[in-house]
Amino acid sequence: MKLSGIAAVLAAALLAPATVAAEHTSNWAVLVSTSRFWFNYRHLANVLSMYRTVKRLGIPDSQIILMLPDDMACNPRNAFPGTVYSNADRAVDLYGDNIEVDYRGYEVTVENFIRLLTDRVGDEMPRSKRLLTDDRSNILVYMTGHGGNEFLKFQDAEEIGAFDLADAFEQMWEKKRYHEILFMIDTCQANTMYSKLYSPNIIATGSSELDQSSYSHHADNDVGVAVIDRYTYYNLEFLEKEVRDINSKKTVGDLFDSYDYEKIHSHAGVRYDLFRGGAEAARSRLITDFFGNVQNVEVDGSKNTTLEEDLLALSKTIAALKQKADEVEAAERNNSTQATKKHPETHKVQLAKPLTDDDWWTKKLFGATALAGCAALWAL
Amino acid sequence: MHRFLSFLLLFLFSLYASGVASAADYHEQLVLQPLPLSALLASFNFRSNTSLSAFEAHNYRFFPRSLGQILQHAGTRELHLRFSLGHWDAESWGARPWNGTREGGTGVELWAWLEAEEEDEANHRWSTLTNALSGLFCASLNFIDGTRTTRPVMSFRPEGTLPNTNSSSNTQLLYGVLPREVVCTENLTPFLKLLPSKGKAGIASLLDGHKLFDASWQSMAIDVRPICPPGGECVLEIEQTIDMVLDIERSKRPRGNPIPRPVPSHELKCDMTKPYQSDDTCYPADYTASQDWTLSQVFGRLMKGACPLSDPSVPPVCLRVPHSRDVYVSVGVREMKNADGLSRCFEVPSDAEVDIVLPQIGQAGVTGHTANGAILTPDTPPLYAERSFTGYGQERGGVQTILTNPSPDKEVEFVYMESLPWFMRIYLHTLQARLDGQNGADNSLIQEVYYRPAVDRARGTQLELRMRIPPASTVFLTYDFEKSILRYTEYPPDANRGFDVAAAVITILRVGQEAVSTSSLRTTTLLLSLPTPDFSMPYNVIIFTSTAIALAFGGLFNILVRRFVAADEGPEVSIKTLKTRIAARLSDLVKKFKQAKIDRKE
Repeated sequence: MKLSGIAAVLAAALLAPATVAAEHTSNWAVLVSTSRFWFNYRHLANVLSMYRTVKRLGIPDSQIILMLPDDMACNPRNAFPGTVYSNADRAVDLYGDNIEVDYRGYEVTVENFIRLLTDRVGDEMPRSKRLLTDDRSNILVYMTGHGGNEFLKFQDAEEIGAFDLADAFEQMWEKKRYHEILFMIDTCQANTMYSKLYSPNIIATGSSELDQSSYSHHADNDVGVAVIDRYTYYNLEFLEKEVRDINSKKTVGDLFDSYDYEKIHSHAGVRYDLFRGGAEAARSRLITDFFGNVQNVEVDGSKNTTLEEDLLALSKTIAALKQKADEVEAAERNNSTQATKKHPETHKVQLAKPLTDDDWWTKKLFGATALAGCAALWAL
Repeated sequence: MHRFLSFLLLFLFSLYASGVASAADYHEQLVLQPLPLSALLASFNFRSNTSLSAFEAHNYRFFPRSLGQILQHAGTRELHLRFSLGHWDAESWGARPWNGTREGGTGVELWAWLEAEEEDEANHRWSTLTNALSGLFCASLNFIDGTRTTRPVMSFRPEGTLPNTNSSSNTQLLYGVLPREVVCTENLTPFLKLLPSKGKAGIASLLDGHKLFDASWQSMAIDVRPICPPGGECVLEIEQTIDMVLDIERSKRPRGNPIPRPVPSHELKCDMTKPYQSDDTCYPADYTASQDWTLSQVFGRLMKGACPLSDPSVPPVCLRVPHSRDVYVSVGVREMKNADGLSRCFEVPSDAEVDIVLPQIGQAGVTGHTANGAILTPDTPPLYAERSFTGYGQERGGVQTILTNPSPDKEVEFVYMESLPWFMRIYLHTLQARLDGQNGADNSLIQEVYYRPAVDRARGTQLELRMRIPPASTVFLTYDFEKSILRYTEYPPDANRGFDVAAAVITILRVGQEAVSTSSLRTTTLLLSLPTPDFSMPYNVIIFTSTAIALAFGGLFNILVRRFVAADEGPEVSIKTLKTRIAARLSDLVKKFKQAKIDRKE
């Protein structure tokens, strides 16, 4: 008995620095609305109110990926140009003066979303449109749109399945692209969307169960459509009232406990089982771990001489290889310059050609010959 | 028509003159001009320089670093980017600001001179450039692919000094356009961030997305060009321009309550000269009656003083109204009337909130002024152009462009350029130009045709025509086209809305005998409706075929595994037989149960 006690103390002592090191060092947010058309105003308002919240809690624009499939603010139907409101009192203009939309219009597709998560993008993709996370990044993934059992529609044209999403998250985990993820989804039958996830360290929550709709909260009669969904509305209410600044000690568990069927009109679901440490650990995570920008700095405390030696050796090899590559490149360049000197430049630029009647007779002649040839063939 | 132009040129010249003095400097100016029909044109211009050597050494002062790095990375010599929205009403507003050189068609337009020897290299750099700009300006510029890119031959000329322009061997011009792209606040945000003042001071502090995107017409432009003054050091110049036409009545509405409510009848302004004017009939009076505004009303905020970085010799705000009209300004603002009698500029302190008030005519103490003298008559543009679709049906259509030369004595020569999407297959042999009032085509109108046919899914049609219109006449330019059917996955999510066809670009080369250096205009974009399939059709097909297969398979399976016998051959089915069967089963069960009991006892 005593021995095991000592072992436990030892284990705790060993684990303590590990838990410190397990903190995240950057925060990212992926906020996706997936519906086009004016009557889906509320989905863009949902996503923009989340955008406002994460910006309020300190995540910079460079670490927020915002996907808006349609233009509500400058839509001709909008009586309030340049604005998007998520409340009929119109107190807060969510579009404001300083907004950066990373993917918009037809760019919001399932392919681009999955490419964004897994970072499988071309060379030319600008950094502002990439999710440049690492294994110390906490990511908030918020999605809203129209969905059904195990799918979410994108722009009323294509769908992402629960399995696709689960595989994308798994690939992120394999590529060490996240530390912890908070996945939130507000759509009909939302809880089915996270049911297939199988990667560790994900807390998932959704607005409604299988066979349940997710409802809108209220409409603005001057805007003319519903402006926000219930689930998002009550999430925001909690975040605005309880999480006033980055120092808030409210936990994810507190947020989940605030979900109430009477208010949301559907059964909001939560999934903890993927999280390391289960429900208890998941519930104790701070809201600001996902919605705020907490910058923990990781310092390598103990000196690891063997690692340093290895790194030194590695850098030497890299330097040698680089030099070799440079030499080869220089040699190639020499060859190519010699080669180009030999051949005079040939410009291969296809431009529009002027239409002229210069060779009118040749064209006619060609036509006549062709006709005559056909006639001869026919006669034979 | 050259009054506005000459004014701008004067302004440009003053900028140029001061630009020679120092390699890195910054100017900004806002020109306000009331237009007929209760409109107000506001032209914002921001211009900064950096010497080319400083730029190449990554030494940025006023030149925006984010854009500079992109230009260097993509090997761009000269860049022009346009974000436009709305329609310039040339009939009532007259000639365009900057002679139309600082505007684009609806959506986003981009053209650039890239350093490249070969076509592939140019294409690669172009894709690098568009992708990088799409990240910077929050626009889907990365959609400018091969199908939306053309290489104009006659339409665009470099504004700056390009090395070896005469041989043009190592710079290539590429032009891309996205007519469907929306222009909104997220495009204004990066635009303002490029300014040295970041939109916090100077005239940029007046730029508010809520007013800009409520304008009847607006155009944001970014022009980067290298300029080599003879004998001087080459400089790279960036010019950012925003032009907008505000509806004064509309922009005066409070932001929280912009929906107009009917005015009570006793507040209606009626035209008393109408014979039917009475208590219950009213013809609205001339709009010019409401030509009074303040800066804070039309822009929704006060101007936050002059930008301290800008050149103090350039007055930040100018207003083009006759000198006979009074203008009230905030304390500290100095008014300078220009010699032409039609414009005045204001010198603004850098630390004060500034407002400018243009009072209503008659109210300002100037009596005996009619509405006619209150605003300047706009200049007549050199050419009017409108374009529309003709024809009907889902298979074929036609395009008609009406070009009018308003000048009574001067011939206009111009280049008309269309870049059409590949799914609009034009029949070039149907292209004809006809003078109004004449029958049949007039071959002398079209002087030169440059044409590059479309390739399905690879590139669009490029058509450039050099045309000439005699004085005071109208020309109808028409051609027919065929609509192609797209593949199922090629339709956008809102296919039933239609497909936007980019504006035609008209570059004016010559008016009368004098060559025009830069003047252009654009038609509106067109909305082409293509035949769209019923998008639920594949699902119907799947359901139908599945049902058919299920029926066929079921029947076949039955036939294969069952033996069919005549009714009298089979076992008799009656209630009696059923009873006996059930009784037999029951007795069996009872027996088994008993047996089990016996087994357990043993």
